[in-house]
Amino acid sequence: MQTAITFARTYGILVVTLLLFCLLTLTTDGFLSERNMRNILDQQSGVLIAASFMTMAIIAGNFDISVGAVYVATPLVALLVENATGSIPLALVAGLAAGAVMGGINGFAVTRLKVNSFIATLATSFMFFGAGYLVSDRSIMRPEGEGWRALARTRVFELTTATWIALIVVILAGILLTRTRFGRNVYATGANREAARLAGVNVDRVQMITFVLLAGSAALAGILGSSRAISAQPSDDFSFIFAVLTAVIVGGTSIAGGSGAIWRTVTAVFFLAFLSNGFNLHQIDPIWQRLIEGFVILVAVSIDAASQRRSG
Amino acid sequence: MASDAETLLTLSGVGKSFGGTVALQGIDLAVQTGRVHAFVGENGAGKSTLGKLIVGVHEPSAGAITLDNTPVHFASPAQALERGLVAISQELSLMPQRSVLDNIALGREMTRGPFVDDRATRAHVQALMDRHDMQIALDARVGDLSVVERQKVEILRALGRDARLIVFDEPTARLPSDQVAPLLALVRSLAAAGKAVIYVSHFLDEILEVSDTVTILRNGEHIRTGPTARETRETLVEGVTGRVLGDQYPDIAPPDRAAAPVLSVTGLARRGVFSDVSFDIRPGEVLGLAGLVGSGRSEIARAILGADPAEGDIRLNGALAGASIADRLAGGIAMIPESRRDDGLMMGRPIFENVALPHLRQLSGALGLNRRQERDEVTRACAATEMKYAALDDPAEALSGGNQQKILFARAAMGDPVLLIADEPTRGVDVGAKQSIYNQIATLAASGKAVLLISSEIEEIMGLCHRVLVVSRGRIVGELADTALTENALMTAAFSGT
Repeated sequence: MQTAITFARTYGILVVTLLLFCLLTLTTDGFLSERNMRNILDQQSGVLIAASFMTMAIIAGNFDISVGAVYVATPLVALLVENATGSIPLALVAGLAAGAVMGGINGFAVTRLKVNSFIATLATSFMFFGAGYLVSDRSIMRPEGEGWRALARTRVFELTTATWIALIVVILAGILLTRTRFGRNVYATGANREAARLAGVNVDRVQMITFVLLAGSAALAGILGSSRAISAQPSDDFSFIFAVLTAVIVGGTSIAGGSGAIWRTVTAVFFLAFLSNGFNLHQIDPIWQRLIEGFVILVAVSIDAASQRRSG
Repeated sequence: MASDAETLLTLSGVGKSFGGTVALQGIDLAVQTGRVHAFVGENGAGKSTLGKLIVGVHEPSAGAITLDNTPVHFASPAQALERGLVAISQELSLMPQRSVLDNIALGREMTRGPFVDDRATRAHVQALMDRHDMQIALDARVGDLSVVERQKVEILRALGRDARLIVFDEPTARLPSDQVAPLLALVRSLAAAGKAVIYVSHFLDEILEVSDTVTILRNGEHIRTGPTARETRETLVEGVTGRVLGDQYPDIAPPDRAAAPVLSVTGLARRGVFSDVSFDIRPGEVLGLAGLVGSGRSEIARAILGADPAEGDIRLNGALAGASIADRLAGGIAMIPESRRDDGLMMGRPIFENVALPHLRQLSGALGLNRRQERDEVTRACAATEMKYAALDDPAEALSGGNQQKILFARAAMGDPVLLIADEPTRGVDVGAKQSIYNQIATLAASGKAVLLISSEIEEIMGLCHRVLVVSRGRIVGELADTALTENALMTAAFSGT
């Protein structure tokens, strides 16, 4: 029974994703087409980028709700600079730096002010959404030059640059988490903060870095999103964080911290994308998609809870 | 003991398997009212499992349990509770945020119509306390109480539910040593009040002191049950380990008194905790830090590691040590913390990650972690501690207490430290594992490491240390060595400041 739970938790997501892949391949004409696959990859690029680092932050023991607000606000900062200077590199730097600063604020609230990360980032969400309205003067923003559009939409070897950037970021995040000292410290901090501290890990710094990386990645995702849309607009839209969080949780990363893997989050992103794509191709009412997605999250969290009971 | 004891509960041929693992088999015994019945054995012997079978946490896979001469079958702790069988868990069932009154009355509140009648409930709980002569302020928040008082709250709750049999599972494992005696008195008073008490523990001295009957378990098998009066420490050790106890403590050669100290502490102080702590340790020396729990022993050790801020000079091999924990570790300090679960291990993470954690810098190159080198060094460090494990990828929680402690020894030794601080290194480990941990300490000392040993077990301090500092109320009140190092002198000094 326990080995079944462990297996389900480690490889379950891979098995169901492959099953879904086969099912959709067999039951629809359009699913396995090159165009459909390219589209899925392109559409998921933003979620993939942010979900990789969300996985890392959750493994380190923290939630970050503000990712949705960072995703909305940072492209506005980037476009403000682009409009003022006409320079895309400067705009990119400004957008990413704004994300890093926002992550720094989250990290400060959690490590120095000792606020629970869920509450802290809920609070900063409102601040960042507000910053978005201020920067954009409450209106939709568009790039001045043609170059902005090329950021995400240039085709390289059949795939868009957004897809390539997402693949590179995911691989780098995976290496950082599994092959470096920092990655080990992330797991240790989430698994037992005090034990990690006594073993010489600077746990505050580790958590701070995970927040900065996460917000930076959300900024990158936001900027790529604005390039695809050729515009950005201020809002109070939390939907991005829900997509990111859903992927991490369905991927089996423990919400208690200390365990999880980026490859599973990535698999979960595709599982959810296939699910949605399948509903479209079969022309089923998208309301069913919500019901099924909610059910899938519940299953994933139940498996997590079952394995927590074992260790508790 | 009074002869009015009668048999309350009988187990015949009881066994329990988890998956393919046999945890218990062929247990026959009878539990009587008005008696304290101890279950003793090493970790993994099945004593806790047996206690849990009785209170319905586990269901037996073989055999029968009879209560009041009728067969019973409990599918849940709630069903056992209905019949008056209760386990006192380690504070797990309390609500720390709520008052003593709320905790005791939980589920048995007096009601008037649909409402809780506070006054009647209060009077009822007070009467319960009076009847059993256990007084605790009713409005105190349970989270603010000491461990013993929390245990009292649990006991009172059990008594309020008409408990007839109370199971204590390792009740002193997390208790400061000066609070053990009051707890044992409490256990005795329950038996005197006619309750049947089951006392599960691996502390042999407590069992000899508190119990009337003792059941010895080894590897899930029933070795014997008999009156405690017929047992001694030696017979119990022989019973639980299956071998005769030799000299537990290895010989450790005395250090070179002329050698320069590895660690020099001067005027170490932390406001309100300890002050004016100064001492040296030389290579190869095992220095004991003795004293009552709460005397400041562990806090001094934590300050030396850099875990808590403190004033004063700490010199490692003559050089002032840096302030952070990472600096101190790099300077050659290694520590085995008091609580391996809270402060030592990442229970859910693999063994190799637990061992390697403080040494990752040395194991990293330009391309990140050198995972093969990590495996090799961790494997070697684990082998040196005689740790028993199936795979290095298994989580730390899969190991027994003794082997978990060895993870910490492997971690400490892998960094080739100059000073090892071991805070209660044998707490919660069984007799066989203790021996092996003593050997670890001896090996480290023989290779020229200094060891600072903190222990509540006086025998351990006496058996291993070259020299002992006695701490009382945050001050070093005595230094004992050679012929002056006697149990009597140690205890006198430990109590001197109180």
